[in-house]
Amino acid sequence: MNEVAVRLRVNGRDVTASVAARRSLADFLREDLGLTGTHVGCEHGVCGACTVLVDGRTARSCLLLAAQLEGAEVTTVEGLTPAGGLSVLQGAFRECHALQCGFCTAGMLATAHELLAENPAPTRQDIRDAIAGNLCMCTGYVNIVRAIELAARRLRESTAERP
Amino acid sequence: MTRWVGAPLPRKEDARLTTGRGLYLDDVARPGQLHAAMLRSPHAHARVVALDASAATRLPGVHAVLTGAEAAAASRPIRPLIPTPVPLPDWCLAVDRVRYAGEPVAAVAAVDRATAEDALERIHVEYEPLPPVVDPEAALRPDSPLLYPELGTNVLWHDVFAYGDVEGAFARADGVLRERFAIQRYASTPLETFGAIAEYDAGLDAYTFWTNDQRPGLTLAILAESLGVPQARLRLVTPDVGGAFGNKRRPAYLLVCALLARRAGRPVKYLEDRLENLGALMHACNGVMDVELAYRADGTVVALRVRDVADEGKNLVSPTQHNLIKLGNIVNGYRIGAVAYEAYSVLTTKCPSGANRGIGKPFMCFAVERAMALLARRLAMDPAELRLRNYVRAGEMPYTTPPGAQYDSGDYPATLRRALERFDYAGWRAAQARARGEGRLLGIGIATSVEPAGTNLASYELITGRRAASGSAEAAMVRVEPDGRVRAALGDPASGQGYETVVAQIVADELGLTPADVDVERGFDSSTTPWLYLSGNYSNKFSVTDVGAVLGAARAVRDKLRRIAAHRLEVAVDDVELAEAEARVRGVPGRGLAIRELARTAYADVLGLPPGEPPGLEARHAHQNPLARPVGADRTVRSQLVFSNAAHCCLVEIDRRTGAVRLLKHVVVHDCGRELNPLIVEGMVHGSTVHGLGAALLEEFRYDDSGQLLTATFMDYLKPTALDVPDIEVDRLEHPSPFTPLGAKGVGEGGSIPAPAAVANAVEDALAELGVTVRSLPLTPERVWRWLQNPEEVR
Repeated sequence: MNEVAVRLRVNGRDVTASVAARRSLADFLREDLGLTGTHVGCEHGVCGACTVLVDGRTARSCLLLAAQLEGAEVTTVEGLTPAGGLSVLQGAFRECHALQCGFCTAGMLATAHELLAENPAPTRQDIRDAIAGNLCMCTGYVNIVRAIELAARRLRESTAERP
Repeated sequence: MTRWVGAPLPRKEDARLTTGRGLYLDDVARPGQLHAAMLRSPHAHARVVALDASAATRLPGVHAVLTGAEAAAASRPIRPLIPTPVPLPDWCLAVDRVRYAGEPVAAVAAVDRATAEDALERIHVEYEPLPPVVDPEAALRPDSPLLYPELGTNVLWHDVFAYGDVEGAFARADGVLRERFAIQRYASTPLETFGAIAEYDAGLDAYTFWTNDQRPGLTLAILAESLGVPQARLRLVTPDVGGAFGNKRRPAYLLVCALLARRAGRPVKYLEDRLENLGALMHACNGVMDVELAYRADGTVVALRVRDVADEGKNLVSPTQHNLIKLGNIVNGYRIGAVAYEAYSVLTTKCPSGANRGIGKPFMCFAVERAMALLARRLAMDPAELRLRNYVRAGEMPYTTPPGAQYDSGDYPATLRRALERFDYAGWRAAQARARGEGRLLGIGIATSVEPAGTNLASYELITGRRAASGSAEAAMVRVEPDGRVRAALGDPASGQGYETVVAQIVADELGLTPADVDVERGFDSSTTPWLYLSGNYSNKFSVTDVGAVLGAARAVRDKLRRIAAHRLEVAVDDVELAEAEARVRGVPGRGLAIRELARTAYADVLGLPPGEPPGLEARHAHQNPLARPVGADRTVRSQLVFSNAAHCCLVEIDRRTGAVRLLKHVVVHDCGRELNPLIVEGMVHGSTVHGLGAALLEEFRYDDSGQLLTATFMDYLKPTALDVPDIEVDRLEHPSPFTPLGAKGVGEGGSIPAPAAVANAVEDALAELGVTVRSLPLTPERVWRWLQNPEEVR
């Protein structure tokens, strides 16, 4: 099996690894780094459950190979979680009951994070557009839209906080 | 006191689930675990002539290979839910014949999944293709190819039921509406796929399973029988479950893992990939229903006759359930005095059918509510008015349908009226008239439904003539720990329903604590969780059985706390109440003992206990819902027990150029009795409604004539995205059930039942100028566009 040496940053930490050329980023994060907060739902790039941030932009970790990530900065749900509590987005998801089984949540949070970084005052339609690439089988999206709206409002009111 | 029950409390679970700290099946890593992959048949129907796996065994990294023949030698067949006239051994891997494309014939355990999949390519199988059986009506014909030649037919069950004077009612009716409806195969497709880890302890000859199986009680019975070990040597653990919706059950996969683990001497994990999930786990049954409504000129429906063909695919594990589960509620919410029902449960060479959110009722509702819409058209009545004329009235509750279901509570007319009001029905009818004047295709659809909860397995006696299992029950445990905090456990492993929160609310009220004081165990562990054969996360049963189990256990602990406090305070037990983490003497402020102090007595200072009181503060309780009963001598049947209801109003617009149906507005008014946590209830209504909208517009497992699944990825099998569905607007009535301990009723399935019918009715209404009749789903742009071009084909 071809092994490839790769150096990247994951959640602010330097990572140096030798990975099988065919290892997906999702498997690398979950199995090699133990970051199991990223979930794999379809492995063909449709469901969005495995969405992470690569250099600040959302990416499907099931469609990327770990070997492609040389020099990249990867952020997973673990990296979006402040020490000892919930982020503004996570708190809003909890308050609005924007998750049921929780399997899509990490990907939704990554997508919402990117949206709010680009557009601090999204309309409901903007939010629906942004999360249209993330499937949720439980919530019917209603409360996810509400949660992102609430988080956006809170972040606008307190510009010091991160999403 | 109910300080917490009824509060819209955010969930306890979310602290871990929003931060990536949940523990789903694939997050469980057992020491030394191997990964399994399964080789699956490319043919829908074929004889397995030869299978050679020797090259796979030699691949480096492969630790065990299991073929169908080896599995048959090492285990017993999986017991079917109903006995068949001749034995049809159903092994965990296909042995000499495959009966759907995707049926597993061999499995490999290797150091990682990729190596296991590499090994599959080295297994050589020689198949002799046989003719597939794809269409259930064709499968009924005497000349059809047979899945099991020894059975002599593809029909697993056929029966005819009549309740009341059906023939007389049809003879006396002013008119009869006859129509044929079909429902497609679809599934709720939990985002986490199904799987298991099996570990074998050779010293104890015992197995441990980690799995997201949602029905552990029944699965444990099957595993013990098939592996030939006592149930005492099986342990089944359920971690966080990423959605289930009825789909997550396949004992065969657990058996494959167990046999591989025994062979390899290491734990073996198998988790479906999405292709395996969509093509081979479980589809909601497709089927055909012929419906006849006998009616009077004023719109009163006097009799219903149904012929219902259920396409089981290759389902031997749970066949006939799609028929049985409709029988009692086949009249939906209507007061129809005479009912005839003919059931066919038919095998075809397709993926096994099985439980999927709402099981059977979405088709019941689609057929009945479509028929009601057509009757309104025929009689030139408003569809709302026709329904209001025919509902069971609130004053008639509890109402028993002719086939025997008991509708326990609710106000169906008031539910629809509230929905019409919330939707602004009159306003939208006026807007529709204006839009039509402008050439726009705007449609309004109404559908209403009952939503049963709790399953009574006694109903299978109708088929088997004997009773193997019956009733509806669940078990729970509540324990005040020595530090005064509480631990609870439930035999029903949640898959997103928030039981850790709701159970904590219930227990907190009983013990005078807060939900923060109560830790509810995640999932299920057969070695510590109390459980029954009937235990599991299915059939909308939380309110019907689980709540009673939790309450029973909590009240036993509560009463013990009161007895200990009364003894120590030297007062009567009746004078002690629990509030604010204390046992207090009623009417004597300041006189009481902290629960923590009583726990110290119960566990440590046991000489302080009342005479004869055993140490400890733990209770287990199992609750059986009182409504279940055996099949009646008149063949009436209560297959389900407690009934919620809902009314959906839907507004659609169709694009003439593309045939695309856009959902503009969807209003749900539902009544699930007392809402234990309204935040969770509303979320379930949103989610289940969107399941129904997906079935209405997008989702279909399409097979070609050779039995190949054409929609086997999320690129072809389309799920609703945030852009496909509107904000679901929800309102509620609250008629508590007299037959559940807190008056709650089922809510998990409700939206999925009427939503497909509501959309279909709206689409037909939008196309009123063309006079088309909607007889099947999904209403994809392609189909609607064809109707727009050739409406005469679907009149």
